[in-house]
Amino acid sequence: MKKSKFLINGMRKHSLPWLMLAPFLILIVIFFFLPIILIAVNAFTDMDSALQWTFNGIDNFKKMLLDPNMPEILKNTFIYVFFTLAINVLFGLVLGLLTSYFIQKESVGLLFRTIWMLPRISPPVVYVLLWLWFFDPSPYGILNSLRALVDLPPGEWLSSNPKTAIVLANGMIGASFGMIIFSSAIKSIPENLFQAAKVDGASQWSIIQDIIIPAIRWPLMFVTMWQLLSLLTSYEYILLLTGGGPMVESEVLSLYSYHKAFESFEYGYGSAVSLVLVVIALGFSAIIWKVFGMKKMMGTSRVE
Amino acid sequence: MEGIYEPKMEAPKIKTVSKWNARIPYIIAYGTLGITTLPIILMYLWLLMSSFSTQMKHGVIPVEFTLENWRFLWTNVEMVGSVYPSIWTATWNSFVFAGVLTVLEVIIGVMAGYALSRMEFPGRQGIMKMTMMLHAFPSVALLIAVFFILNFMGLFDSLLGVILVKTALQIPMTAWIIKGFFDDVPWDLEWAGLIDGCNRFKVWYTIVIPIIKPGIAAVSIFSFLAGWSEFLLLYTFVLSDDNITLSTYLQKLISDPNLVNYGLLSAVSLFYMIPVLIFFIFTQKSLMQVSAGGGKGV
Amino acid sequence: MKIELKNICKTFNKQSNTINNLDMTINDGEFVALVGPSGCGKSTTMLMIAGIYKPTSGNLYFDGQLVNDLEPKDRNIGMVFQSYALYPHMTVLDNIAFPLKQQKVPKEERYERAKNAADMVHLGHLLDRKPSQLSGGQQQRVALARAIVKKPKVLLLDEPMSNLDARLKIEMREEISRIQKELGITAIMVTHDQEEAMTTADRVAIMKEGELIQYSSPMELYNRPKNYFVAQFIGNPPMNFLKSQLAVKDGKCQFYINDTTVDLNNHLPKIKSHNSIKDIYAGIRPYDLKLGQKGDITLDGVVSLVEPTGHSKMVNVKVGDDRIRFFADPLQKIERGSKITLTASISSIHLFDCESGENLTAETIGEGQDNKLVINS
Repeated sequence: MKKSKFLINGMRKHSLPWLMLAPFLILIVIFFFLPIILIAVNAFTDMDSALQWTFNGIDNFKKMLLDPNMPEILKNTFIYVFFTLAINVLFGLVLGLLTSYFIQKESVGLLFRTIWMLPRISPPVVYVLLWLWFFDPSPYGILNSLRALVDLPPGEWLSSNPKTAIVLANGMIGASFGMIIFSSAIKSIPENLFQAAKVDGASQWSIIQDIIIPAIRWPLMFVTMWQLLSLLTSYEYILLLTGGGPMVESEVLSLYSYHKAFESFEYGYGSAVSLVLVVIALGFSAIIWKVFGMKKMMGTSRVE
Repeated sequence: MEGIYEPKMEAPKIKTVSKWNARIPYIIAYGTLGITTLPIILMYLWLLMSSFSTQMKHGVIPVEFTLENWRFLWTNVEMVGSVYPSIWTATWNSFVFAGVLTVLEVIIGVMAGYALSRMEFPGRQGIMKMTMMLHAFPSVALLIAVFFILNFMGLFDSLLGVILVKTALQIPMTAWIIKGFFDDVPWDLEWAGLIDGCNRFKVWYTIVIPIIKPGIAAVSIFSFLAGWSEFLLLYTFVLSDDNITLSTYLQKLISDPNLVNYGLLSAVSLFYMIPVLIFFIFTQKSLMQVSAGGGKGV
Repeated sequence: MKIELKNICKTFNKQSNTINNLDMTINDGEFVALVGPSGCGKSTTMLMIAGIYKPTSGNLYFDGQLVNDLEPKDRNIGMVFQSYALYPHMTVLDNIAFPLKQQKVPKEERYERAKNAADMVHLGHLLDRKPSQLSGGQQQRVALARAIVKKPKVLLLDEPMSNLDARLKIEMREEISRIQKELGITAIMVTHDQEEAMTTADRVAIMKEGELIQYSSPMELYNRPKNYFVAQFIGNPPMNFLKSQLAVKDGKCQFYINDTTVDLNNHLPKIKSHNSIKDIYAGIRPYDLKLGQKGDITLDGVVSLVEPTGHSKMVNVKVGDDRIRFFADPLQKIERGSKITLTASISSIHLFDCESGENLTAETIGEGQDNKLVINS
């Protein structure tokens, strides 16, 4: 009895927290740290489907520079990230303002926000199916059906405008993320600030400009940085919608690394592309880190 | 609406704004929202109608009611040369995948969240920083390496392997959110428990856990839905039909070149979305809080 | 239970001491209040007694037994928190019975005793409610019942009344005093409200920046503040202070207020330098000032504000560059802007060194002993 008590006391101080963190840390080591090392090592091999580790120095990176697809892919990545980000932040802000400031009735605002959450909460496969149907090149597609009403021939939307398609599909998802964050930030502005502005004779525009925007400055920056980062590195919706095609017309860098690894089985080359992405992402994380100083998040324990 | 936006006080000499002018911003607001929101509603409505209709006039107007599209529920879908696995296999697999994922994530997240929120130990700051960093980490860029690791562990083409991967990818965020719930429990309460005769562990499960239960429930739902919707990992790491899940099943149907049957596709989609819709309708308020809270956590 | 704190230090960040060398004894059955401005270390001191914080150095004794490393649950204490810290998921009865449950008291006895405790704080009719359904005062009572239900040796009260409105505050104050006396329990209360401390406690400990400034009975604190800090902290409305000078010349001692010179000749001060002039604050409590001409000290001023309080009028007067308050008879006609003269007896005056804040009046003479002021510096 006494012994076990002693044991518990001893554990309580230092080993108990580590015990509680153990599964968490193990998962992170296996599926974050180990992969990072593997990617970093792999990037310098010419591993293919035979899974042989043959080091080839910086050949992969040379190859990347000379890759004929690379200029197109980088251009696509830039266009995709820039325009989707613009939709995410600006339209997210508009949605946030409309649903939580202009529409004062909470239930109505909530209803709209709920509807906008639908694409986000829908499984990606279903969401993409809706877009596929929208752009379907056959006369059954919604765009083509609408054209048929005015006697226009069906168009090959997805293959003629693949970049527009991926920007729209991703923008709609991202806008709801901005909407949620901005809404809750707007809602946390004290009501009497608006009342004071009204008393002082402020116009709607001035309230938005002088009260709301400054108050949600941090969330705005956060959403921008966060979305920038995730747009750079995620490709699930593109994979489902266009698969990067036709040819490489909608292929972005992150999807390219996936294709290289899992379609043409050039694991070494794919790893090298991934490594570039990881480095870029870490750079952005460092910026986010600097800008949003994490100190305040870390209160200390208050029982000794 | 609340009165303050339509000032009732109208002092003399002040140019009174006409009723219509004051309403213009609201008309624009509702107009913009309505126009942008309508396509979303229509798209999901189409999903519903086309699943119960033989064909769609102009692609959008249902013509004749039928249950034909829902036949996949009792007979396996057959295509030229290939038979799809039963939808129920896929459903069961999706359910197991999402369920186990949720249990793992909540248990691990609660343990880690509590330790990070409430305990003092060397290395705590470091782990918190690392957790924060991992939020923003481009986990999908690591898939190639994860493939090796799963291969090495003999977990390639198994649901368990993907469950572990998915848990790991989500756990930094989940643990952080749960840490936030613990942070919100006042220290006073914990102290009161200590003084009332509990040890730290007892305080944890008799006082703290019951208080954060609603938060845990929200996180559970969130991670269940994330698991239910997962596509990329399952598509990449699971190949065999025995381990097919609803997302890969649907993707297989969509990409099947022999099939252009939106009726069937929308019926399967709707079937796939049932849990999502149920959870969504009943809990969307708390879900919003979690997802917003998760974002604010940075 | 007798509680002794011996040379207790507590640091949180290794840079500065939150609690610095605290020495204090709380006798068995005594009600002690820890008072001070926020950040003075009073709550930290209490949490150390509770065992939630451990002292960085120094010793803590309960009845002569060293308890530094004793867990809170083994200390046999009850505590009421500022936020009440009621368990939101339990009913009132379960909240009160919770400490007994931890002691593995059988269910029936547990609820019996919980009900008794609830009756003691007049809560018998609310046992099935959840804390969120109670008013602030009721929550307070639940917290109190929970703290006393296990018949602890020590009752700790952390700002127990700061979330209550003025009327409830007085009610609870009496309630807590009554229960403490009835149980004969040692009680320690942390508060920032000096009035609360003065009215409830047997002894009051005034703390500032982690140090114990003065630890004595309420009357002593009021009549013999050790320094300027205590003097301006204790008493409501606060003591009036007038800037003045103390002069010692050839064995004579005088001070000047408002163009009047006051001799302190009856008792020669023990002042080291025999010829010196010191800047001082002369302190007079508002209740010690009277309207009129005859008295040891007279002050001329202009009324700047009159606030009726019902049983009297509180009057703000501008004297020279200083503002002072006094209480006038409610029937007395006093108008804003009028010139008045106030008097005070010399025994009611406290002199404080401007630099060190130290009280220079070693022995403030109580009632009946007039015109005697002893200075030691």
